[in-house]
Amino acid sequence: MGSLTGSALAGVDSDLCRRVRWWSRAPLLGGLALLTALSPLSAQRAIRVTSVRSLVFGTVFPGVRRTVLRSDPLNSGQLDIRATRNAQVQLIFTLPAVLNGPAGATMPVSFGGNDGGFSATRSVASQVGFDPRVPYVARLNNNSSRASVFLGGSANPIAAQRAGSYTGTVTLTVVYFP
Amino acid sequence: MGEDRTIMSKLMQSSLALVALVAGIATAAAAQSNSGSITATAVVQQPINVVGAVNMSFGNVFPGVNKTITLTTAGAGRFDVTGQATSPVNLAFTSVPTNLVLAPSTNLPVSFIAGYNTTNAAASATSFPVASGAATNLSGTGALFVFLGGTVTPAVNQAAGTYTGTVTLQVTY
Repeated sequence: MGSLTGSALAGVDSDLCRRVRWWSRAPLLGGLALLTALSPLSAQRAIRVTSVRSLVFGTVFPGVRRTVLRSDPLNSGQLDIRATRNAQVQLIFTLPAVLNGPAGATMPVSFGGNDGGFSATRSVASQVGFDPRVPYVARLNNNSSRASVFLGGSANPIAAQRAGSYTGTVTLTVVYFP
Repeated sequence: MGEDRTIMSKLMQSSLALVALVAGIATAAAAQSNSGSITATAVVQQPINVVGAVNMSFGNVFPGVNKTITLTTAGAGRFDVTGQATSPVNLAFTSVPTNLVLAPSTNLPVSFIAGYNTTNAAASATSFPVASGAATNLSGTGALFVFLGGTVTPAVNQAAGTYTGTVTLQVTY
């Protein structure tokens, strides 16, 4: 189809022919561009967020604030991220204001400006602190497709806090910018 | 010539459409996201409850004659504490008078002693300084008993009447 079009134009207008020949290659060039554009996509790893460890305040006494540091290897919350190496990611926490307990009782919880931690090496001992109440942008390492996010916080039981087990849900949404 | 331009125009259109397709795919792939959740948990223990179960009473006191109430003597005071079983607690007297008072302002000097036990048995209570308090644990049923004794030292010219004072015990986890 392409060669037929070419012969029909031969000898008519050399400049026009040259332009037409260029444009006749355009679909091919476009195809190459498409492949080029798709190529990085095929190499990108689908982003994955995995729950590793709950944020555990443990035993709490009425009227006594209990704080868990993000560097606490046993009680801090942890989620792992898997994405493309060196990817830039945005971390968005959805944090509860209260934990829910027995018979509809609630217990206030709070998160401070340094209660979030990002570790490109997935080490609880090597984190960069951030405010989990607002979105935070981090970058994965060049040599690893994994990273960890840690979370600390405080449980603030009132003096008349009803005894029992309390739970809440913390959600981390990771937005990935290839 | 017009036909040529038509052919070229169609080629251009197809190329532009392809470029637009590429751009569209690239845009669609610009960002992706995923979410994960963890739980936050806490177990709240029983609140501490402190009851002034038995008032301390020195009974009749005579001018110039000291009178002591030990932890086991009739008239000793007692606080009953309840809370989470086996939990550690701190005992602190936050209000300890140095005088009992006959209204409006006559004083009778007084000092106190204290002891605690996980059962209601003053004889086997563990003594502790009233001034500095103590740290101990509630019993397996979440109980603790704090006993209070003391000594009053009336002057030889102590005015007759009923003297009173308030002792406050604070218990915290």
